Amino acid sequence: MAEAHAESLAVNDWSGGVHPYRVGHRKLGMWLFIMSDSLTFGALLIVYSYARASSVNWPTPFPFSPSIVFSSMMTLVLLSSSLTMVFAVSAAKRGKLGSARKWLLATMVLGLTFIVLHLMEWQHLMGEGLQPFELPAEWAEKWPGASPLFGSTFFGITGLHMFHVLTGVCYLGVVMARIKKMKEDVEVSGLYWHFVDLVWMFVFPLIYLLSVDYHNLLGK
Amino acid sequence: MVDSKEREIGTLNIVMLALAVLAVGVAAWNVISDGFRAGTDDLFLVLVCLMLALLFAVPTLMWAQANGKLTNPFADEAIPAGAADTGTHEAHGGSDKQNTIIWVSLLALTAFEVLLAYIQVPITLMLIVLMGASIIKAALIVAYFMHLKFERLSLILTIVPTLVVLLCLFAIFFPDSFRLRDMRPQEPVHQVEHEG
Repeated sequence: MAEAHAESLAVNDWSGGVHPYRVGHRKLGMWLFIMSDSLTFGALLIVYSYARASSVNWPTPFPFSPSIVFSSMMTLVLLSSSLTMVFAVSAAKRGKLGSARKWLLATMVLGLTFIVLHLMEWQHLMGEGLQPFELPAEWAEKWPGASPLFGSTFFGITGLHMFHVLTGVCYLGVVMARIKKMKEDVEVSGLYWHFVDLVWMFVFPLIYLLSVDYHNLLGK
Repeated sequence: MVDSKEREIGTLNIVMLALAVLAVGVAAWNVISDGFRAGTDDLFLVLVCLMLALLFAVPTLMWAQANGKLTNPFADEAIPAGAADTGTHEAHGGSDKQNTIIWVSLLALTAFEVLLAYIQVPITLMLIVLMGASIIKAALIVAYFMHLKFERLSLILTIVPTLVVLLCLFAIFFPDSFRLRDMRPQEPVHQVEHEG
């Protein structure tokens, strides 16, 4: 009785009551991880912006077609994987484990598609001669004085993101295989997956959309 | 007992409001005395002050609202005090239809960003619009896909302001990049490339 009274008193404040967050320890842990991880990506993106703003010239090597169209497709794939993840979480919550499994599988397939598309993009750029600390000779001529840090920021940020996607695919695989024991983990893994999607929402405009090659809009 | 608690709350509210007013005052003083002469540094200082003012004002405003001294201007349906307490996760999160609508809006915002990249907007304007759109997208993802809108307010207040403040603090270093660019000698570009 007294406890219920205490709870009702406290609940009005920040709706926390005697359980300030009322989430499971896994979910709370995932949120804390997401906070620290967003600081990692935040730091990397600030480093990228710093390197770019402090350079006399910065390569803008992406023609609208095919590069931007291609990376937009990657964005579409990743956003769609978030939607299938949402469906997986809501199916798991309703106790429809079979359906949740299928949606998780769809999410993993979309995640792998993203990785494959991204690796194709990387291969294309490396084929042009881009390396972490060196620009292709052609670029150096086209953008005189351009910072060689383009490669390291590009590979560093997109590489870490891709690593997160890959980790996410493995994580979802484990959750899918043990879904009967790990029902709550579907939602927790969903948090991770959406976070990876969220990071891409900043990487895509900053790295790709701000580096469109307007002299070569439709490729060579 | 109750009296002392109320007195405590009253004092805290006054302190918070005073801090909020002080922060707004510093921002106003900076604008009036300096008029953005220092560029990004001034902008940053003003933004930080305004953000601090907001953070200081929020608990007091929430207290005022909870005690009926202020009607909620946002009229939200997210967390009715009783419903959040049921402990079940039935009403937790939006419906599939709602999530699909969010997905479509995310796609639409992305399409808008890509269109901007196609029509060639000046880079500063482009950066501002892109970041604005990305922040909206991030907010939609966090609120609906990650269900944060449906969590307890205490969790939201633990996560969101902390992250916003920390990410803004990173930006302290940013204006230094212009100094680096402007102080760099014009010619010896080739050496840098060979070293790299």
